[in-house]
Parts: sequence; structure tokens; C-alpha cells
Amino acid sequence: MSDHIDGPRQIGDPAGDLTDLFAFTSPENPAHTVLAANVFPSAGVTAMFSNAINHSIVVRRVSVAGLGNDAKFKAGDKEYRFSCKFDVLQRDGEKTIQRGTLTCPDGRTLRFVVNDEKGASTPDGVFRVFAGLRSDPFLLAWVGGMKRVPNLLQHDNVLAIVIEFDTQRVLNPREGSLFGAIAETTPLAAGINPVDSPPLRYDWVGRPEQTNMRLNNSGLKDVADVRDLWNQQTPFAIAEELQPLFRKRLVDSLTEWDMRDGKADWAPAEINAAANVYLDDFLLFDVSKPTSDTSFLEIEKKTLRGKSYTTGGGRTVDANVIDIMITWWVNNDREFLHGGSPSATKPGTKTFPYEAAPNTELQTVADSVDLAASPDQVWSAIGKFGDLTWHPLAASVRLTGEGVGQLRTIETIDGKRIIERLEAVDNPQRLYRYTNVSGLPVMDYTGTFDLKPKGSGSSVEWRVQFLADNQPTLIVRIIVATLLKTGFEALTKRFGALK
Amino acid sequence: MIAALDVDLAYPLTDGDIAVNNLESARLHSWSRFWRDPLREQAAESIVDQEQLAAQFLGDLAAFDRCDTLVRHCDRVDAESPRTALIHAQVASMAHRFAEAKRYLETIADCGGLSDAGKRLSLSIDQAWGTDLEAVLEARRRISAKSGRLEDLIPLAALLADLREFDEADQVYQRGLKEYHDTSPFPVAWGCFQLGVLWGELMPEAQSNRAEYWYRKAIEYLPCYVKARVHLAEVYLGYGRTKEAEALLLPAIPSGDPEVHWRLADVLAKMGRVADAEAQMQTARSGFEALLEKHLLAFADHGAEFYSGSGNDRRRAFELATVNLANRPTLRAFEQAYEAAVAAGESERAARIVAAAEERWGAARAFRSSQFAESHAGKSESKGATA
Repeated sequence: MSDHIDGPRQIGDPAGDLTDLFAFTSPENPAHTVLAANVFPSAGVTAMFSNAINHSIVVRRVSVAGLGNDAKFKAGDKEYRFSCKFDVLQRDGEKTIQRGTLTCPDGRTLRFVVNDEKGASTPDGVFRVFAGLRSDPFLLAWVGGMKRVPNLLQHDNVLAIVIEFDTQRVLNPREGSLFGAIAETTPLAAGINPVDSPPLRYDWVGRPEQTNMRLNNSGLKDVADVRDLWNQQTPFAIAEELQPLFRKRLVDSLTEWDMRDGKADWAPAEINAAANVYLDDFLLFDVSKPTSDTSFLEIEKKTLRGKSYTTGGGRTVDANVIDIMITWWVNNDREFLHGGSPSATKPGTKTFPYEAAPNTELQTVADSVDLAASPDQVWSAIGKFGDLTWHPLAASVRLTGEGVGQLRTIETIDGKRIIERLEAVDNPQRLYRYTNVSGLPVMDYTGTFDLKPKGSGSSVEWRVQFLADNQPTLIVRIIVATLLKTGFEALTKRFGALK
Repeated sequence: MIAALDVDLAYPLTDGDIAVNNLESARLHSWSRFWRDPLREQAAESIVDQEQLAAQFLGDLAAFDRCDTLVRHCDRVDAESPRTALIHAQVASMAHRFAEAKRYLETIADCGGLSDAGKRLSLSIDQAWGTDLEAVLEARRRISAKSGRLEDLIPLAALLADLREFDEADQVYQRGLKEYHDTSPFPVAWGCFQLGVLWGELMPEAQSNRAEYWYRKAIEYLPCYVKARVHLAEVYLGYGRTKEAEALLLPAIPSGDPEVHWRLADVLAKMGRVADAEAQMQTARSGFEALLEKHLLAFADHGAEFYSGSGNDRRRAFELATVNLANRPTLRAFEQAYEAAVAAGESERAARIVAAAEERWGAARAFRSSQFAESHAGKSESKGATA
């Protein structure tokens, strides 16, 4: 048997890829703190966690060891580690279930079921955990320097781990209320041959965008990509010998960001100081003060300005961290800069687990056919919303109203009645779009007809998007696919296939 | 028991069922994202990657049709862009339409140069085509030395195997597995499968026990790896372990891959279940023909093997082997076409294939261990005697 090698470009495991880390005061209970870490960018609706990865959020107490241009946040040695691991999948009839285990800093373990919105709590209520699919709360509405665009992560989902705990009982803020958090994904077990296999970290994150926007600033030309080197560093302990390299890159990067509006808003000493702060890459939060959607980076900024901070810093689910960071870097908070979209796909919620429910995924059935007839000929046959005489499954069509908004009531040859609404029509472009009102087991059903010239003939594309309603998705897909196929077969018979 | 062969992975892998669940889930999400905004960055590219994985590991051959839908829609919305040209090239290469893929790559190169993805694809095509293999080998060595990634070491090892450098190929595969530090089971299962093919089918003296070991490992890491199941079933069939072969193949039936039905037909025939075997063979035949009608070049070599074997149509086998050879004149394609010609009683054309193989591959080291070597050596000797 021959098998040629033409493998895909990347076949890594996205389930180990950390996207974001959050730390904020619980909206449900101000005496509680919430830590959340997301993995798996662009996760599908049935995505599950890897069972080979330890997902940890690690917190250390931090002290302010310098102000102004000597600003420094010093992390202590004691760790508060929250670790989640996940089981293999289990089948329960038609359902697939995954269970996980949270190991709390005090050593207690908590079992939970993935995607159970209630999560699981310890009997004393000190710890609560949720893990599962959520709408991606990240908002990325800038590209290529300073170009504003719609949110590039619109409709995306991620796998979230949300941990809420009693702040007093877990972190004992009397000993100091300022903390730094990181999230990391690491192998679940040591290698078979530990001597040959040094400890490994798949990914880690402190403040957002340390790697993609600061260390790998696209505005810096002809510089080496140091992201892999950074990702190999141990959180809270960046290698001494590499610190000058990373510091220089951060200085260069922040200098370049400052000049993106053509104005220097930062003094060189201020940039050096900010680079030093960024070198200690952990998400700062103070549990004695409230967090809000605008308190992100407030601790760092005030400290760099030689003042006392007044908020809990941290990062809430709805904090627009990119706008906050870009504004600070580009004009030192002179004027707030908005990206091309004001919010993520869905706002966070005020109830556990705080990250919004996942986005549903529209099903798409699409087909196209190339016909041996001119676009005008074909469009005159199929381009009228009220005329389905070309489709063998339609017995009759009755139109109500005119233009966009008109309804067509289709009697099918097997006696069913389907009502559809014309949403848009563009005769010069030979395109129309319609939605289903009733008669099919669907929600959010949109059909699009699109005819384009192709060679000496035409190409027709018919695309339908929907959510199944009260019927299995597969059944509805078959119904829709049959509708398309039958229609195209009739068109091919009538006009001939384009050679 | 082959203890010395144990896969010495550094770290645990994500369970195969989770990885496949996540691949399918991500694949559907990518389509949804693409239909919402076909021009979105990486929307189409992700689909090509994921559809390739679905075809390669899950035996989901409808992936070829879906990729055709993808390129048709890319043409509608962004026909002139280098990005669409690269998608075209990738999909054409996936379907073994190498000349078409190369044309697209040349168009991109003319419009400002190939991206890394384009260069990588060009290299894959040269390797599959058997073009300038020394340069491909050098590039493969350079790329894998720089990245150290299993995904780069596997194509290097496969090329070494094509060049009949079997020992080094084995070493490279095993090094790649040993140094693998990620959690995805796909590359590991792929490496194990390739080792199975190396020991079971490519080595001059096949070692079925080693092949069995590696196929089993591939399935252990990725239970729904259809090709590994088919190949392991073939090994079991060779041992007469028909019950085990049947048990391996039955769960792979839903994939729709006709090779599953073909192997199952062989197993059932050996078990004496003639009617069941014939039903499976019919399904295999119609499955292959349906695939060949739509994607002739992608399945010409597999179709030729089917018809050379229990598919039992020597003429069709020769026809398909000839199509494959014209598309991809590798040494292996020459060997397949030659065998098919002989089996079909086409002795004259068989002789022409030998001559063409000599002309193209005679100077290559790999040729000396091919089935053509003997006749070549005979000719050289007689030439020497004449001189």
C-alpha cells in the first residue's frame, strides 16, 4: 500500500494553548475572588479538555519594591496553586461526558463535570469550580499597527476554567493583599525517562499579550522572534542571563508603540521602567480593593507614576484590555483609543461562571453547479423569488407583498407548506437571500442564491445556514441537502452541465 | 513481544478519542467561521489543514469533496488573490493534482514570492512527484534539524525510505517519536503508522511482527486511525488471525473508506463467508469507482492496488497504474505500473515501463534495490561483454 507524505502544516494540540487569564472580585460575592483561565482558541461546540495536561493557575503574594522609574513588583516564594486535570471521555447514551478534578491550594480535591454550569463546590463553600465551553471574552479589533477592524474573534468559543474562592480563607490578605497570577499548561506526568526529559511547559500567560504584541511587536523590523524562548521561561523566575535580552526587546517594542501616533509621549526612562515592570510578567490584583472593567493595569500605572494605586487592578471578563494597553503605550493615556469593535461577542455575566454561554454554531449546507447557459438565461429562470417552477419539489408558490420583506408560501409536492421571507435581492449581482418563517424544523435559517459567470456559462451557488429545531441536526442537513441537490439536478437537466 | 521497540515518549499524549472529538469540533467551527466571513484571516487555511487531517486519520474521504466546495467559494469571493491561489494549490496537491498545484504556486511566485507555507507545499509536491530528490532531501534535513519537530522528521524519514535508505529512515522516525514533546496524538500515530509501512511493506524483507507492533501502537494512540486498522488487518490476515482482523475493521466501516470494505471482504472470504465477502467486495468496488470518478489522481494508485488484488480486474489495475505513473513518476509508481502491465499480459508495455524507469531512475542509488535492478544489471553485463 502506498501512502505519500503530504501532511498538514500543523497538527499540534490546541487544547493546551492558553488564550487568557482573568483575576477579579466575585460579582456574586465581594468576599470571594475569581480566577479564570481559557484554553483552546476557536474551540468547536463539542470541544473537550486534554487529559494529558495539567491546567494551573498559580498565585504568589507580591510587594511593591520600588516606585516611579524604580518601580518593581517582587513576588514571594509561597505559591497558591489551583490545578485542574481532566479524564478521558465517557459515553452516557448519546451524550459524551468529561469529568475533571480541581486540586486546591490546601490539597483538597473537587470533582466536577465539564460544561455543568452550576460547577462544583467544596462542602464548606470555600472553593467553587466550573470548566467548559464559553463564548470567547477576548476582543481583538486592531490589526497591522493601528488599523481598526471588527472583532476578529467574533462568535468564537474557548474552553474556560473558572475558580472562585473565599479570599480571606485562602489568601489570608492580612499578610499582604497584593498578588500576582499566572496560568500554565504542563504535562500531567513526568516523562518516562525523566533524565532525558526536562520539565516542560506547553504554555503560560501572565499579563495579556506579552508575547504577541510586546515581545513580537510587528512594528519592529528584522528582529528575531523570541516568543518561544519566552514561553520556555519559568513563570516568576525569568532566567537571569536572558533578562537583558528580553528587557531590550521590551524597551524597543514600547518605544515603537509610543511613536505609532507620531508623537513621543514617554520619556526614555519611563519606557525603561515600564519594560522592567513587564519583565515581571504576572497579572497583578489586590484583593483589598475592588476590581472593575477599567481597573486593569491601574496598579502598574500608578506605581510607575510614583503614586499609590486605588483599585484592585486585575482583569475582569469585560475589560477591553487591548484598548487599555494600546492607549497607554501609544499616548500614555492622553486620549483613549478605541478599536474597531466596542465589545466581545457576548458580555460576561454577573453570575457564576461569569464568562458568557457559548456561541451556537450555524450549520451550513452549500452546493454549486456549473451550467452551460449564460448568466442572464439562468437568472431569468431562478432569480425570481416568487417563481420556483424550476424546482421539482415545489408544486406551487403564492406571493404575499412586494420587494424585500415579501413572503412566498410554497406547497411542496408531498403536501407540506413552507413560508419564506425575502431579505435581500441584488439583480445586477444576481443574488438573493431569504429566511425561513415556518414549515421546516429549523431556527435562524438563511438561504442565499448567488449566480456568477463562469467560462462560457454560469455557476450557481446555493447556500443554506440554519440551526436544527426539534429534529436531529443530521436529519435537517439531509432535508436541506436533498432540496439543493434536487434543484441543481433539474437545472443541469434544463441547461446542461458546463464542460 | 518486541520489548526493544517500545515507544519511549517523553510525555503523555491526549487521549485519541478527545483529539478526534476536538478535531471534528474545530473542523465544523472553521466551516461555520468561513461561511460567516470567507475572507477572515486563516478561515480557509484552517479548513484545509483540518480536512486533510480528517482524510488522513479518520478515512473521511468526503474531505476531498468539501475541499472542492471550499475552493469554489474562495473563487467566488476572492478569485484573484495569492491566498486563494495557495488554497487551490493545497487542495490540488491533496488530491494528487500535482501539476495543477505547481501551476498555482508558480502564479503566486510570479506575484511576489512564496510564503513559508507555499515553499513547504512545493517541497511536498517535489517529494511526491519524485523530482530533484537530492535537493528535497537536503531541504528536509535542514528543516528538520532546525525545528526538531516530529511533523518535519516524518517527511524526512519517508523520503529516506523512498530512497531505500531504510536504516536511517527507521532511526529518524524513532528519534522523532522519542523527542516528541507535545500532547497531540496525531503526529505520533502517524510516525508509528509509517514505521509499520516501513517494516511491513517497504523493506526488501518484510518483518510482519515489527509492522504489527507499529500499527498496533498507531491504533493505541488513535483508535479511529482507519488506515492503521486496514494495514494491521492485512497483517493479521497474513497470519490467519481472521477474527482479530474482522474485529479491527468493523468499527472502521462508518468511515466510508472503500479499503475497509476491501480488506473485510478478504477476511470474510478467508473465513469462508462467501456471500458476506462478495457483498463487501461490491461495496468496495463501487466505493473505489465513485472516488475515482471524482478524484481520479488521488486514488489511482490505491485503485490499482485494489484491482490488482482481490478486486480482480487486471486491465483496470493497469489502466489506473498507468494514470498514476503519468501523474507521479516515482520509482514506486514505475514498479506498480510494471507489475500491473505484466499481470495484464501487456509484456511490450511492461518492457517500455522498465526502459522508462531505467532512464529516469537508473542513476539513482534506490534503483539498485528496486525490482528493475536485476534486468538493469543483466543489461550492463551484456553491454560490458559486448564491449
